[in-house]
This record gives sequence, structure tokens and C-alpha cells, in this order.
Amino acid sequence: MKRFTWSAFVAFWASVITIVVLGALSPEPTGALASEPQLTREVTMDELAQHATESDCWMAIRGKVYDFSDYIPEHPTPPFIMVQWCGKEATEAYDTKGYGRPHSAMADAMLESYFVGILITD
Amino acid sequence: MMRILTRPGNLLILIIVILPVAVAAWMASAYPTVGAGPMLNLLGRLTGVMGMTMMLVAAVVSIRIPGLDQPFGGLTELWKVHHWLGGGAFLLVMAHPVLLALSAATLSPQAGASMLLPSSDATAIWIGWGALVAMMVFLAPTFSFFGAPHYQRWKGLHAISAVAVVLAFSHTIMLGRGLPVWFWWGLGALALVALTFRLVWRKANPGRRFRIEAVTPLADRVVEIALVPEDGKPFPYEAGQFVYLAPLDESLAAGRGEEHPYTIASAPQDGLLRIAIKDLGDASGALQKAKTGTQATVDGPYGRFFEPADAGPQLWFGGGIGITPFVGRARWMAAAGSSADVHLVYCANDPGRAYYLDEFHAIARAIPNFRVWPHYFREEGPLHASWVEARCKDAGSRSVYACGPGPMLDLVESISRELGVPASHYNSEEFDFL
Repeated sequence: MKRFTWSAFVAFWASVITIVVLGALSPEPTGALASEPQLTREVTMDELAQHATESDCWMAIRGKVYDFSDYIPEHPTPPFIMVQWCGKEATEAYDTKGYGRPHSAMADAMLESYFVGILITD
Repeated sequence: MMRILTRPGNLLILIIVILPVAVAAWMASAYPTVGAGPMLNLLGRLTGVMGMTMMLVAAVVSIRIPGLDQPFGGLTELWKVHHWLGGGAFLLVMAHPVLLALSAATLSPQAGASMLLPSSDATAIWIGWGALVAMMVFLAPTFSFFGAPHYQRWKGLHAISAVAVVLAFSHTIMLGRGLPVWFWWGLGALALVALTFRLVWRKANPGRRFRIEAVTPLADRVVEIALVPEDGKPFPYEAGQFVYLAPLDESLAAGRGEEHPYTIASAPQDGLLRIAIKDLGDASGALQKAKTGTQATVDGPYGRFFEPADAGPQLWFGGGIGITPFVGRARWMAAAGSSADVHLVYCANDPGRAYYLDEFHAIARAIPNFRVWPHYFREEGPLHASWVEARCKDAGSRSVYACGPGPMLDLVESISRELGVPASHYNSEEFDFL
């Protein structure tokens, strides 16, 4: 067990260093539309409210609008948990998750691939 | 290994460890996990759940209360379980962040890296890192990462386990989802009670006060110390059990107030508690010159080397200071007028190291079915199966009990297999950092 644990210990640090270095060396994902405001679409509250069903579900989180229509079946809760926020401003729901806890860094990273535009509130 | 699972206490531990991860996996199975990313994420979460459970159970079983070790087959067996739980937890909690980072890396390499090194306000993840690093610090000597440690330093570092458990628990409460929170609080409370008892209460109440009545040299660097309880009340124990002894003699060169485990050599009927001590380090070396009339604390008894109900024909192998439990058992048999059928193979380097041999011969004369076979390594080389069979014809059909240094136990185990002793009839005990 001693040798096995030592091997796992070395493998752990090797994996951690590899993942962190790969993250630092890789180019930024091209889908980061938020950093290119001239291409960004503006979504009004009225337009957001028109996408309020399970098959056509947009949500606003922290000032950005996302289209979760394709994602709802993959979300690790029953669909109704997300569907009740379709067409709405859902930052608080995203930040508290019903347990008073925020989503993970991984969820934050996933958001970007569903980005539609920025929310215009006035 | 199979023997371990037949103990009622260990079966309970197995259920406590398996059940939460099974429930978490079942709860997760209600939702789709399509593709590598979600699957790695699920595995990452499950390794976290199981690692945390094993860590808490390892903390719970580290509690040391005389008698409580019996359903687990004795303290030595219980600590094997503790060792496996701790080692398993360590492997799982190392896998946990790596799996979650790999899962995030399916989105982008940056997401993978930020899972491991998130922004500074991701407190829960940094607390998790704290737990993992604390675990690495206190387990490094256990798994001899940087060479074999000194007993007291190992013990001191092992106290950091409390920090690791508290940090890992906070991380789980902050990030865990799925399993009901009362499960974690319940198991966490048990672990807290055990750790407080072990690291705080036990320090203040190290055991009963005994007085050293006699110190008898048995051979070069081996003594037998006889003690009596200061309060005059009886100290019940079974032959072959062990105690933690901490001498309080101010004039000792080393090890004052330090507890170490020593096997009881006396029979339970004896008015004195006798322990045989070999000079194996600073503390046991200093005890060779222990003075009569000085005090020591004794915590115990622990262990369950002999199966109390095993009255069938037995074959004992004792080597070095590992002869001590057999001394206790033989003295008990002589005092109780037992007629058990026992062959003892006493492994020593040479006749000068075969302490207690004269007493064994005397017991053999008193008990008809008790035979003693000394084996001297310097004269006869390593012990082998034919040597044993030449002296004990029915060796293969006996229950084997072996106690001694690691290499001797390895040899005796292979000899027992060669003689046809079933694994369920093989019992051994080695003191390794207990």
C-alpha cells in the first residue's frame, strides 16, 4: 500500500501541474463574445420574456442572456427546476441554487457556450 | 482479509462507507450523464462523497476505549481498518479534484485549470485544498514518503488529521449536494467526539496510575517490569492483550510521559501486571533502567490476539519480543489447569536470546499436551515447513497463532500455507506503530 500511495501522490501532483499549465498555455476560447461588445446583441426584457418555455428557454444571469433550450435536458436536476426561470432574470436562482450555494466555476465556464446577448433593462 | 469482514463491527463500517456513495450514485442516476464531461463530474463528486465518509469513519474508529475494540477483533485489527480507511480516503480525495478538473477541461483548458486554481473568493475550494495539503502532511510519514519516521514525531504529525477532517468537513458542507445535510452533521459529530476524546480528554487522563514493583532482566536489552495499580482495584484483562504504558519516572533518560504499546506477559490470575520490554528505541531503551517504586500510567487492556473460544489444537510461532503474548497465554493455561493441545515454536537467534524458555519448559512439564520447540536461526538457518512437520505431525490441522517481527511473520504465513493451514485458522500480530 505504501508504494501504491506514493505513486498516487506523485501522479496527483503531476496531473494537477499538467492541467494548470495546459490552462495557462492554451489560447482563450474564441466564443468569448462578451469581450467584443461591437458584435454583441442587445436583448430587452420584453424579448427575454418571449422565450419562457422548456423548448425555448432564455434566461438572464448577471446582465447576460443565455439560451438554455438545448441544455435543460442535460442539467442535473428535473427540468422544472430550470423551466420556472425561463424568460426571466435568474441571477439569484443561479447564485443560490435552492441550497443558498452558488454554481461551480465549471458551471460559470459552461454559461459562455449558451451566450445570446446582453440584457437591456431600461 | 476475509476474517476482517466476519467481525460484526467491521461489517457495520463497510455498510456505513458504501451506503452514502451508493445513495449518491442512485440519486445522480435519475439525471442524464451523457458524455465524458458529466461522467467525470459525477465520478469526481462520488469520490468526494466516499473519501469524506471514509475520512470521518477513520476518525471515529481512532477512538481508543478498552473493550470497544472487541467487536472489531481487537485494537490491532481495528487499526488495520483505520489504516485502510485513511489510505482509501487519501486516494479518493486526491482523485476528487483531478476528476472534477478533467470534467471542466472538456469545456476548455482554462475551465479545467480554474477548477483547481479558482479565484481567491472561491473559499470552499481553497478550504478543500487546505484539507488535502493537511492530509498530505500528516500521512507522509505514515506511508513513509520521506523515509521511516520516529514514533513520537509520527504521532505528533498525525494530530494534524484533526485539522484535515475539520477543513474537509467544511468543504463538504459548503459544496456537497444530493446527500442530506443531517448525514454529514451526524457522522461529523461522531468524528468530533472521537477526535476530542483522543486528542484532548486522553491527554489530560492518560490512564490508571500504576507503581513499578520489580524490574527483572531477562536477557541483554530485555526486561520484565511488574506493576500494581495504585488504587488497589483489580485490572481485568485476557492473556495476550496489550496496554499503553507511559512511565512517569523523572530520572528516565528518555520517554518520560510518552505512551508506547507493550504486550502483557502475565496471566490474568497474577496479582501483578507484567510486561516484557525490549530495547527497540529511546523510550523502551530507557525503560531497561526503570526504577522500582516509580509510577507509570497504564491505558488498556486492548487487543484480541487469541480467539477466546478457540480451545482446539493450536500451533504457536513466537519470535523475539513477539514471544510475550504466548508467555501470558501459557502462564494463564498453567494457572487455570488447562489441558489444551499446544505446540510452541520459539524462534530465536541463539539460546542466549530465548528468554522465558526455561519457564515454557516448566509449563510443558505441567501440561501434558503442551510442547515447546526452540528454533535457533544461527544454528539451523531459516525456519521451514519440514522442520515444523518433523516436530508437529498434525501442524496443518491446527489453528496457527504467530507473533514476531515482520519478516518472521511473512515466513510463518508461507509455511502455514505450505502445511495446509486454512487462512481462517491463521492469526498473526505485528506491532507496527500502534
